Amino acid sequence: MFFAAIDFTLAPIDWIIIVVYLIGCVAAGVWMRRYVRNVDDFAVAGREMDLNLGVASLAATEVGIVTVMYTAENGFKNGLAGATPGLLACIMMLIVGMTGFVIVPMRNAGVMTIPELFEKRFGKHVRWLAGVVVILGGVLNMGIFLRLGGDFLMFVAGLDPAAKFHIDLAGVSFNLGMIEAMMTGLLLLVLLYTVLGGMLSVLITDYLQFLVMGAGLVVTSVLVIWNVGWSNLIDGLWQAHTSGVKLLDTSIPGTTTEVTMAHPFNPIAAFGWGWVTWQAMTSIAIVTTWQTTIARVLAARNADTAKSIYRRTSFYYVGRFGLPGIWGIGAFLYFWHQGGLPEGMGSLTAMPAFLHTILGPGLLGLVIAAMLAAEMSTDSGYLLTWATVIYNDIISPCLRKPLSPRAKLLTVRLMVLLIGVFLVFYGLWYQLPGAAWDYLAVTGNIYLASLFTLLVAALYWPGAHSWGAVAAIVLGAIGPVTFLIVNAIVEKQNQISPEIAGWSAFGLAFAGMIVGSLVGRTVSKGRSAGTTTS
Amino acid sequence: MLDRFLIAFWTVMVFGSIAWYGYLLFHVGIKGGWDIARMIRVLSGQGGENQSPGPKGQ
Repeated sequence: MFFAAIDFTLAPIDWIIIVVYLIGCVAAGVWMRRYVRNVDDFAVAGREMDLNLGVASLAATEVGIVTVMYTAENGFKNGLAGATPGLLACIMMLIVGMTGFVIVPMRNAGVMTIPELFEKRFGKHVRWLAGVVVILGGVLNMGIFLRLGGDFLMFVAGLDPAAKFHIDLAGVSFNLGMIEAMMTGLLLLVLLYTVLGGMLSVLITDYLQFLVMGAGLVVTSVLVIWNVGWSNLIDGLWQAHTSGVKLLDTSIPGTTTEVTMAHPFNPIAAFGWGWVTWQAMTSIAIVTTWQTTIARVLAARNADTAKSIYRRTSFYYVGRFGLPGIWGIGAFLYFWHQGGLPEGMGSLTAMPAFLHTILGPGLLGLVIAAMLAAEMSTDSGYLLTWATVIYNDIISPCLRKPLSPRAKLLTVRLMVLLIGVFLVFYGLWYQLPGAAWDYLAVTGNIYLASLFTLLVAALYWPGAHSWGAVAAIVLGAIGPVTFLIVNAIVEKQNQISPEIAGWSAFGLAFAGMIVGSLVGRTVSKGRSAGTTTS
Repeated sequence: MLDRFLIAFWTVMVFGSIAWYGYLLFHVGIKGGWDIARMIRVLSGQGGENQSPGPKGQ
């Protein structure tokens, strides 16, 4: 067993780094509570965020442990070509940052969430429906964060991820999993400062987390390249691909999956045109409609600041996939030369186990603190964003009388807590049906496809009609939801591929918008003509 | 030929990312700190301008 072979010891210096980081981060987050007076301060930091703080916050939120895990898995399976989604996101961020496509009119509209914009264009019912879809896609997407984060921390620390411990409470015995207990504790810390300080706490903690996480990413990447050697890495990838090396993934009990190295440099050969074009489409939708990204646009001081944040953050996305991808490649080469993956290990967990073998005292503490930072910044940003959408777009439109500022604030805080409770239960027992990135992309597509279609139509197509908006929302969700249900039921060989689910979401959403708008306008014209005649 | 180009391309991307992350760490690290100081000043000032209660503890 792999874990028995590992000498698990965190040196005192590792513990000092981790504890100092955690205390500093939570204290700074809680301290910002004093500046929260209303929902505007809580949700969009009073719209006082400047450029560099925006870059730090966006960068910190967009890199969580889950990001590191799935991007490393992409590197483990696809070599350097696994960084293709990051490259596409970089190109899209740059284009949007230079042209202001979507983000400028959105920032100038002065809204707090994307669905709020839809009310102005399509009516209250579309805002509400869009809010529901945003939450469905967003919270399901976030559902796997805790499990993957816990896996990383356990493997990098050299602990058995199935480890349990026993506690007695008032005469009742409990057997608790180590991952469940650790990640619940971490989530409680995040909830503490997010509930109290909202976006203001998120910005301050994101800044600290950006520093710790950035240092961890750079140091670990240099260390991996130093250990493996760049030319060895390139040669090893090519040999693994051409000789058809197979590693056995036994991470899911009772199943064995073969992992082979796809073309490690050419994305088209590795994934095919269907997947690459779907990723390009998903990337433009993510950078213009992903609520956690857009939250920084809406919190920016003005539209020019928002554009600058996009341009400055664009190349960050290459490293977001490329650097952890290198860690995954290092893991593949390491375990290949070790004779294969140990029992119970898979393509997701190989990377942290590999890092454990190359990081010494101090560095291990830095990397764990960096990954805690990554996890906390992502969780806090996502919790706040989805809670704001639930209040702003699902609850608020149903109220006859607006809530008092105090009740509004209380409601948003309560929503943050409820999402946290959901995450603990859903996030810690859900079993991934396939690659982590595909799960995230497909659940994200539940709302990405429909909201992107709505947003572009609302801002740039005067002929868009609310019937088209409703049709786009409903049809856009069908592909990804079908993917999730079918792939959870049927055998692997009969499963729907992620690119088919993803493209069908965009295709159906576009078709729904166009056909629905044409029909809606025709019916509206008919009605108004009838009214005039009568 | 294509593979050689792609290897060179990904090499530039990976080392460029490391350099860019290192640069951002210092640049955004310093300037982001100033942004926080300015934001806190403005948020503290708002309390006085609006005659609403200031931050707790003030």
